[in-house]
Amino acid sequence: MTDGPKKIIKDITKGFAKHGYICSEQIATAVYLASELEKPILIEGPPGVGKTELANTAALYFKKEMIRLQCYEGLDESKALYEWRYGKQLLYTQILKEQMQEVLEGAKGLKESLDRLMKFEDIFFSEDFLETRPLLEALTSEKGSVLLIDEVDKSDEEFEALLLEILSEFQISIPELGVRKADVKPLVVLTSNNSREIGDALKRRCLHLYIPFPDAKLERQIVQARVPEISESMQIQLVNFVQGIRELDLKKLPAISETIDWAKTVILLNSEELDAKLAEDTLNVLLKHQQDIEVVKKEIPALVSSATETSDGKSLN
Amino acid sequence: MEKVLTDFVKALRNSNVRVSPAETIDAVSVIDSVGYEDKELLKRTLSIVLSKTPDEKDKFNACFDDFFSDEIKQQVSVDMDQLSDIKDIDSDLAKKLLEGSQGELMLSIADAAEEAEIREIRYFTQRSVFTRRILEKMGVGKLEDELMQLGSSREDELPSDLEQELRNQLTNLRERVSDYVQQQFLLHGDVSGEQLREQIFKSMNMAQIDRSYLNEVHSLVRKMAKKLANLHSRRKKNFKKGKLDIRKTIRDNWVNQGILFNLSWAYKKVDRPKIYVICDVSGSVGAYARFMLMFLFSLTEVVSKLRGFVFSANLGEVTNDFKDAKLDEAIEKALQKHGGGSTDYGQALTDFVSLCLDEIDNKTTVVILGDARNNFGPEKAHLMKTIKERSKQVFWLNPEGKYRWDTGDSVMTKYSAYCTKVFQCGNIDQLERVVSTLLKTAI
Repeated sequence: MTDGPKKIIKDITKGFAKHGYICSEQIATAVYLASELEKPILIEGPPGVGKTELANTAALYFKKEMIRLQCYEGLDESKALYEWRYGKQLLYTQILKEQMQEVLEGAKGLKESLDRLMKFEDIFFSEDFLETRPLLEALTSEKGSVLLIDEVDKSDEEFEALLLEILSEFQISIPELGVRKADVKPLVVLTSNNSREIGDALKRRCLHLYIPFPDAKLERQIVQARVPEISESMQIQLVNFVQGIRELDLKKLPAISETIDWAKTVILLNSEELDAKLAEDTLNVLLKHQQDIEVVKKEIPALVSSATETSDGKSLN
Repeated sequence: MEKVLTDFVKALRNSNVRVSPAETIDAVSVIDSVGYEDKELLKRTLSIVLSKTPDEKDKFNACFDDFFSDEIKQQVSVDMDQLSDIKDIDSDLAKKLLEGSQGELMLSIADAAEEAEIREIRYFTQRSVFTRRILEKMGVGKLEDELMQLGSSREDELPSDLEQELRNQLTNLRERVSDYVQQQFLLHGDVSGEQLREQIFKSMNMAQIDRSYLNEVHSLVRKMAKKLANLHSRRKKNFKKGKLDIRKTIRDNWVNQGILFNLSWAYKKVDRPKIYVICDVSGSVGAYARFMLMFLFSLTEVVSKLRGFVFSANLGEVTNDFKDAKLDEAIEKALQKHGGGSTDYGQALTDFVSLCLDEIDNKTTVVILGDARNNFGPEKAHLMKTIKERSKQVFWLNPEGKYRWDTGDSVMTKYSAYCTKVFQCGNIDQLERVVSTLLKTAI
């Protein structure tokens, strides 16, 4: 490697920005480490801070195919790893029965029949009948891929155990066929919303990145990148307002994705200035619980005034 | 350089960040590629490799800043010949300070620390003691005396170059030693004091734990409840209906020439314990009530099919109050609503039976938390019998010591006749044992 790690991390930051993903140094470092060490990376953080998007952008940046596996309760190996083509297998056994006659024709005695049967090529469990699912697909992909295992916390603990072999050795054991090893190791990204504690065994095999809510500066950059139409003063006010809301005690805090949605809404409404009425009318874009909306409604005047004040201060500077 | 890393990992473990050997190896290979030069980069990288929860990340950041704080200060070399009064100084330490290299100085600090038995450091309050001890062993006393003499023997106002230099070096040395002690404390001490506190809490009688430690004890109880619930709630049973597991069916029937004869089903049923908890919050268990409620609260958090009841005389359900509530609010509310009155187990059992006897089946576990002190009222033990007959098992947790059972108005024996098992449960250690038994058998 001729380039120092610092340069590569900078390149990643720039490359990601080109695809509309503004990442902090921490995120860029994590991506660098994941590709350098060839280790899976587990991303945690509140919903809507761009965990899934990170994998998407990584796929674009590294110019690799993106393979996504959405986890849910009850997900098992037949949907995640591989499956046999049962219909075809059943047909095969039917054909086999007919063919058997030909194979055994003229054989004398039990022993000879058995010998012939043994020589007969059996393809019941073979590649031909193997249906690949996302995980196996990611391993067999020739050009390498970015494998996103989304919301791994939603899956059962059994599935987690299933992932261990893939994540540490980049291989899958198929009992009938043996071990399939990846030629080109995929970049694996796992995301979790922490709805349940992920097992230590899984955590140990991964790098761990925690993405918190962004600070005002980063969030402004993100809004700028995602909604470039927005005026600068409006963008500052929106971000300040959202940052203010995050200080409150709410059921679900608005994340970056909500800020972006809100910015788009404001553009759609052709508003130039953030005021109490606009905030109140569009609050449901930002907050997803009626209780939260009630709480924030009371605080709107204070939030709006502080948001516009600080933005005035900034623009004077 | 690997020594630095392993020491750092040790310090991390001391401040309660769990780092496995495999992760340490990862860290070594990471450092190979990023190097030690850029401290910020190093911090970000190691944080990704070594700490695996938001909580651990905070601890990691604090620990990293502490551990890598001492930047090696560049020593300004002084031209010895220019110092006229060099011959007045003859203590070893002074010579070392003036002539010795940084490495030698660090070495002598380490030697002195060894002599001062730095390994014995446990608590952060001991830092200053150890710093002083190390400085003494290095001979700071003698140097200070000499400096005093230098100061008193001089004629002009300004201190000589030598004196100035020595004083600077001495301040430097003090800082160096104090940093060293801090580092050693991170390595050997109980940094967060958590282990000690946990140990004490666990064996202390619940009634004697101060209320201000409620949160600490709660996290302890919750940790325990969660661990145990995880351990015991994973048993699964195969369903006899639902979705066909085609893969398994075909494989099982391959021997039947592909005729699907024996069917297998895809869904597995997770068996979770169904638990009813009745908690006494009357005056006689006043001191324990808070902790029994805390236990009840923690259980509600980890076991989904749990209903909780509290009573002094009349029984009230608190299941919904406890869900989505904060610990102290929930407990206050329960105590306010039901607590403090005089005990009537007879009435409470009557209420319980009329409320939910129909729901009790042979998979249900009933847990009663209380001291069985019934104010000489009718105990109505036959109700216990009914509950026992309908349920899978009945546990009674008594916070009082065994020697006090059946004394005064306690009617423990009357009730315990109808309990599957009776536990004494006065501290967290005992509670842990009880919960383990409970979850093992409640399934």
